[in-house]
Amino acid sequence: MLAISIEALIKIALLVGGLMTGAAYFVLLERWIAAWVQDRKGPNRVGIPLTKIKLFGLGQPLADGLKFIFKEEATPRHVDKVLFTLAPISILAAALAIYAVIPFGSVLPKDGVPGVDHQINLIVAPGIDVGMIYMFALSSIAVYGVILGGWASNSKYSLLGGLRSSAQLIAYELPMGLAIVGVVLMTGSMRLEEVIGVQASTGTWFAFSQPLGFVIFVVASFAEAARLPFDLPEAEQELVGGYHTEYAGMRLIMYLIAEFLHMITASFLIAILFLGGWHFWGITGGSSTDVTWFQAIARIVVLNVKIFAIIVFFMLARWSWPRFRFDQLMSLAWKVMLPLGLVNLVAVACLVEYQPVLESKLGSLGITAAMWAIAFVAWIAAGILAPLHSDNSARKDNFVLDAERRNRGLRPGIAGPSATGPY
Amino acid sequence: MTGIDNITLIASLLLGLGLWMLLPRGSSRGKAFGLVLTTAAMGLFAYKLFPLDDLVSDAVFYVMTAVTLVSAVGAVTMRSPVYCAIWFALTLLGTAGLFFFQGAQFLGVATIVVYAGAILVTFLFVLMLCNPEGDSLYDRLSFEAGISSITGALLVGLLTWTAAATVFGDAKAVAAKPAEGPAPIAFASSYEAQGKSILTDHHVERLGMELFTRHLLAVEVAGTLLLVALVGAVAIVAHSRPADELGPATEEGRRNA
Repeated sequence: MLAISIEALIKIALLVGGLMTGAAYFVLLERWIAAWVQDRKGPNRVGIPLTKIKLFGLGQPLADGLKFIFKEEATPRHVDKVLFTLAPISILAAALAIYAVIPFGSVLPKDGVPGVDHQINLIVAPGIDVGMIYMFALSSIAVYGVILGGWASNSKYSLLGGLRSSAQLIAYELPMGLAIVGVVLMTGSMRLEEVIGVQASTGTWFAFSQPLGFVIFVVASFAEAARLPFDLPEAEQELVGGYHTEYAGMRLIMYLIAEFLHMITASFLIAILFLGGWHFWGITGGSSTDVTWFQAIARIVVLNVKIFAIIVFFMLARWSWPRFRFDQLMSLAWKVMLPLGLVNLVAVACLVEYQPVLESKLGSLGITAAMWAIAFVAWIAAGILAPLHSDNSARKDNFVLDAERRNRGLRPGIAGPSATGPY
Repeated sequence: MTGIDNITLIASLLLGLGLWMLLPRGSSRGKAFGLVLTTAAMGLFAYKLFPLDDLVSDAVFYVMTAVTLVSAVGAVTMRSPVYCAIWFALTLLGTAGLFFFQGAQFLGVATIVVYAGAILVTFLFVLMLCNPEGDSLYDRLSFEAGISSITGALLVGLLTWTAAATVFGDAKAVAAKPAEGPAPIAFASSYEAQGKSILTDHHVERLGMELFTRHLLAVEVAGTLLLVALVGAVAIVAHSRPADELGPATEEGRRNA
């Protein structure tokens, strides 16, 4: 009992320490990438304190953190004080608690650690059979932080940010769930370590065998992490800072850390569910119980490299895409992502049900090709049936307004003839 | 006499009175006294249930129960609807914790996902549009405060008494009514004897197997019900007539038409 507790505490310490440091340095990385994309230098001055050594600006996160800690903890007079404090705490706690079921490596070798009589699994709570639903439960708790922060601030910017955010998070949870169900169907388990195990033992990552699910999951996790092009909850140009407009000091940094943790969580999940987790051909081996020390460490490195690559992708996407308009965001979720998720689900279910027949007729390569063909056709169909309108032509709702205008003898349409345009 | 025993009776009475005093009745007099009464009632209930076996599981159980009950009281006595919702969320978390404590992992997380994650968030979504400065009349007055507090106290009292009588061996109460061997329980125990208990390592797998074999009809009926509700909601919202036929919305428009 004591040994298990100590083991769990060591894992938690490693994970929380790593995540907090990671979040701090990812801020620096984000600023570097932003600077690189925009052809400027970015933070490169702060090095070791009290010396002139610059170290490419690696001291920046430390300086930022200290600045946040020493800032005044300003509480505006018009806020609801209890909820104002509770909101950032709840969002950070939920963001951290998700990592109880997320593996950060594979296993350590049997008898590899002196004084431990069982094989150490690199996951904080290895026995939880409902890992993925637990994850969903906690990400829905995180919505509370946003809603409560927006409401308790008693400010219009915050309220609008909170409203937008809750609508967005609720909308994109559905396609995300559908994409995950595809993975669960193929794996037969809701444990993330078993999801990796199946991908490693077959050598086929789920991104190859269900490309549609992969795309949906990536898009939905961008939305769930509120990253551009889905950062409407805190669109600076419209809402100042969104739901954390009124925050300062430690409570603000809790929100910021939680946002970065959401992005790191999303990267973990993309890597684990669709990109094979710790598996890489020729380096890590495929068994999830028999490992050498080399393989055990290689697996941790592989997983972290994948996560790092996905985070860099997140950051590059931020500076490559403009933000969606809110109606575009919603129609993408309900008219494109949700039907595509259903298509993916049906395809995977058929695949799982008729696996032996299909295997004998098409071969495993043929099955993968068929899944890609389905993905392609569904994607084209979605593009034709529910195109994303990026122009500013009047929406169909305006027909009501048009009828009214015609009745009043005015020219119909807000944007002129386009009111009868593409629709 | 197999009736309800004195401690539970007193505790229920105290709870009912305390709850009634705590509920919003237009004045805040007697709230502190109501709090004292409710706390005392909870203490009596806890005393009634106290002797479990293991100290750690005792502690976990009582902490979870306390969280659930206290936040449930908070959920009905707060004035601000947002606070009510938050307290209710805490109740759900406590309930989920109790499920986890019993080993029912799936029920625990499903409670959080469905109730705290979906339903309450929708509530909050609406509540956010209400005024954060001051409460309206229907927030300051609770309807049927007396009846609802009596009902709540009765429910908690009966449940506690039943739990104490059956689980913790209040010998007389059980012995007076010998169990007739109800069929479902016998079936369940035979199921466990076959090693098909769902509280295993592969908990979700077993639960799914149960749901889609033994309880298939119930699952299908529930699914159909939800589908009907969904279609109904869409039918209410969607106008099948084109907007042009609806006619002008304003008086001015009608005159011009």
